Amino acid sequence: MSEARETPVAPPKDLRELFSGFFWIGARSFGGVLPWAYRTMVEERRWMTHADFTETIGLCQFLPGPNIGNASIVLGKRWFGLAGSIVAFLGLMALPFVWVLGLFVLYTDLSSNETLKAIVTGVGAAGAGLFIGTAIKLGRPIARKPAAFALIAACFVLVALARVSILYVIPVGLALAVFAARRKWL
Amino acid sequence: MSLVELGLYFAALSLVSVGGLPSVMPEMQRYVVDVKGWLTPSEFIQAFAVGQAAPGPNVLITSLIGWKVAGLPGAFVALGAMCFPAAVIAWWVAELWDRFKDSPWRKAIQRAIAPIVVGMILSGGFVLATPGSPDWRLWLIAAIGAVGMLATKLNPLWLLGAGGILGAVLL
Repeated sequence: MSEARETPVAPPKDLRELFSGFFWIGARSFGGVLPWAYRTMVEERRWMTHADFTETIGLCQFLPGPNIGNASIVLGKRWFGLAGSIVAFLGLMALPFVWVLGLFVLYTDLSSNETLKAIVTGVGAAGAGLFIGTAIKLGRPIARKPAAFALIAACFVLVALARVSILYVIPVGLALAVFAARRKWL
Repeated sequence: MSLVELGLYFAALSLVSVGGLPSVMPEMQRYVVDVKGWLTPSEFIQAFAVGQAAPGPNVLITSLIGWKVAGLPGAFVALGAMCFPAAVIAWWVAELWDRFKDSPWRKAIQRAIAPIVVGMILSGGFVLATPGSPDWRLWLIAAIGAVGMLATKLNPLWLLGAGGILGAVLL
């Protein structure tokens, strides 16, 4: 990052600044939160370096729970302890929570309109396509190993086709996958 | 009563939600639509669409499900239940994770999670595009969304918008 030389990186001064930073991330995160989190924390407010951001997000992607929600917990804790985690999380969720409910209530009011219903269903199908695209993007580099391909296929058959609960599939699948990874099969 | 059930179930899902919300979408659909009948299949995909199109973390979709089940308290309970157990784990594990940077177990766990997450997200996409019986029109829109995402660098909102237009024309 070329701007990295201009201003030194410094964590937020106080809880107020932490809140406003995360509030701003949530407020404008149309089409995905991650790029806005990067822009706000690394480029604009210079709370952390590019490497630090990548590392933190990497960790949060492996933890259960919403990635960016976890990032708010981890970073809030790092800078201000428990109060920081709570403030960052609430800042992140506050406005999007109101927006998503408002939009949904509005939609529910209008949903007797068949055209609108078709449009929204189309948006949902495209969103499903984005999931499939994400899975292909993440899966392509790993699926060449037979053990990884078998795990992906087994998860799909069990969860998508046989409709087995992930409360069983994920713990068992993870145990098998850790076993396979320890044997260098993944 | 359904509020308590919803909260407990989402809290359990929170604990296994490696990969975030996309990983638990197929399960939410199964539980909320197939098992409990709180939403119809088409209501579920519409709630998902609104959650995708609105700004903010996609975990907010859970608050829409909660809203359908029990109004505003439902929205708070569903979102809280989905986030809180995972947040407690994140709180405890973050430092531990740094300390075990070079542990072979850490590397094994990182490699192990990836295929499971891929399998879950793929399932989520399939289940969402297949509410009820298979419909080629929804599959076509989903395929266009997937290809658009892989082949271009467009903001996903454009792809969602294209899906909306196709929906108006085809559905």
